[in-house]
Amino acid sequence: MAADAATVATPPVPRRSSHARRGGLKAAERRFGMLLLVPALVAFCGVILLPFAKALGLSLFKYTIDMDGPEFIGLGNFARVLGDAAVRGSFVTTLVFVGLTTACSIFLGLVWALIMNQPFRGQSALRGVSLLPWIMPATVAAFLWGWIFNARFGLINAASLQLGLIDFPVAWLSTPYGAMAAVVITKTWLSIPLFMAFFLAGLQSMDQEQIDAARADGAQNWDVLKDHVIPHLRPVLLVTVVLGVIGNLQHFDTIWALTAGGPVRATTVLSVQVYRLAFEQWDIGMAATVGVLWVATIMPPAYFYLRHLMKGVE
Amino acid sequence: MLDLSSRHAKLIFAGVALTMGLFIFFPVYWLVISSFKSSQELYRITPTLFPTTWTLDHFRTALTRGHLPLHLFNSLVVSLSSAAINTTMAVYAGYSFAKYRYFGRKPVMLLMLSAQMFPFGLLLITIYPQLTSWGLLDTRAGLVLSYVVFALPVATYMLYSYFSQVPNELIEAARADGASDLRIFHTIVLPVSLPPIITVFLYSFMWSWNDLLYSLTLIVSEDKRTVAPGLLLTYLNESNADWGGAMAASLMAALPVMVGFILLQRYFIQGVTAGAVK
Repeated sequence: MAADAATVATPPVPRRSSHARRGGLKAAERRFGMLLLVPALVAFCGVILLPFAKALGLSLFKYTIDMDGPEFIGLGNFARVLGDAAVRGSFVTTLVFVGLTTACSIFLGLVWALIMNQPFRGQSALRGVSLLPWIMPATVAAFLWGWIFNARFGLINAASLQLGLIDFPVAWLSTPYGAMAAVVITKTWLSIPLFMAFFLAGLQSMDQEQIDAARADGAQNWDVLKDHVIPHLRPVLLVTVVLGVIGNLQHFDTIWALTAGGPVRATTVLSVQVYRLAFEQWDIGMAATVGVLWVATIMPPAYFYLRHLMKGVE
Repeated sequence: MLDLSSRHAKLIFAGVALTMGLFIFFPVYWLVISSFKSSQELYRITPTLFPTTWTLDHFRTALTRGHLPLHLFNSLVVSLSSAAINTTMAVYAGYSFAKYRYFGRKPVMLLMLSAQMFPFGLLLITIYPQLTSWGLLDTRAGLVLSYVVFALPVATYMLYSYFSQVPNELIEAARADGASDLRIFHTIVLPVSLPPIITVFLYSFMWSWNDLLYSLTLIVSEDKRTVAPGLLLTYLNESNADWGGAMAASLMAALPVMVGFILLQRYFIQGVTAGAVK
């Protein structure tokens, strides 16, 4: 009370007081800014960060459905995982799936963006419609391609028989290579639109005069693509490669709905492997361990992506 | 960009465009016509490229077999709630990151963004017992909560990159007039930010609607199931698959996102590539 009175009694010095007031306002602003973040931060910590930390920790425990609680075994799970040929195999399968799918969808996305970048009637409408596969639920895409690859009545078999490519219908999804091809094609089909959108955005900032100048020097289409368009798109390419790798490493839905990781283990990628370990065999410790190795696989591409995203942040 | 004046170039361009167009669009066309063909026409070794007779039979059976209408309803409830909650949180968090400077801002932002490299399947291992202990396993609320994983980090970043472009002068001017920060945000910034907010809403909605992994695991009861696991469990565990029904049900399952997307696609494309392409 006395202190308050003293403050009031002090004659105000205009400049200093305004400065102080400004400082107080800044602090209040800061507090308000932090307050805005609270709901998202709480949700983030509770649903993402904490589960993540716990999962990392679980990789050091033996924990199965028949046990009362986790039992600490240090790096025991990692030794088991590395000694398990089946799990090692799922890393190779993941590499094949992620590599093929990312490469195919980026290449085809780029080609389609170049086509959609040419002026023609109905161009903008067609661009919009091209995004349709992307918004399809993965389960729907899996059903659709499962029907197209169907052994008895599928479109692929019918077309291949008509064209004389095969003599008998093939049960694509029951052969290891056929199943992998189906999974890669389905995910590629789902991913092309997004990559097309990225490349189109990149192409729009392309300098037309630069191309005209190259043309005047006698450059052909191929030269223009190779010397001007692709170099211009390099930053976009980097982002799409990283996004593609992260997304495909994460991918579960189409694979599960189309092949469930089979036949046998032909399409058992890491996401399917972790799901099976955790929710079919209820071996939580092992599932967490494979998951941790999975994180280690995602980390390098994610690092580049994060660096790119944080570049503009002051 | 490409010079198509020569016949040679024209031919190659047309060939590539046609092949790619077929790959992108033909499956969608196939989905639609397969759901309208009669079973008799559907199960033939050499399929017809255009239905000789159109029938709604598959839609009728799809709506009565399993619980498609119920699953669609559940998906709608879950996806709308999840989109509303995630968008609201992301709006405030994105604005906070964009327009305020405080201790720990950058590391927190980096941490939230890095969540994209946490595998969804790995998080599920611990989200499952967590929801069980909160009594939220096998509830729509629990599923909504878990969808924070998919949408929140990306949504926050998308809105952050939009709010960063809102001129500071706009905010400073209102501050000089004595408006509170909350008021400034609600009456001045939000009204001009609707397009990106709609984008983020649709983005979160789409993730929730399309998800299979979480909904398959966190929901056990038939009456709470959402549409993606509903489709899978109805049509895949059968010895004689009902492909016509599966196609019709798929079409109905894809329709809501398709409609939302067609209405809002202009904002959508800008919003999703924002930040990544500069």
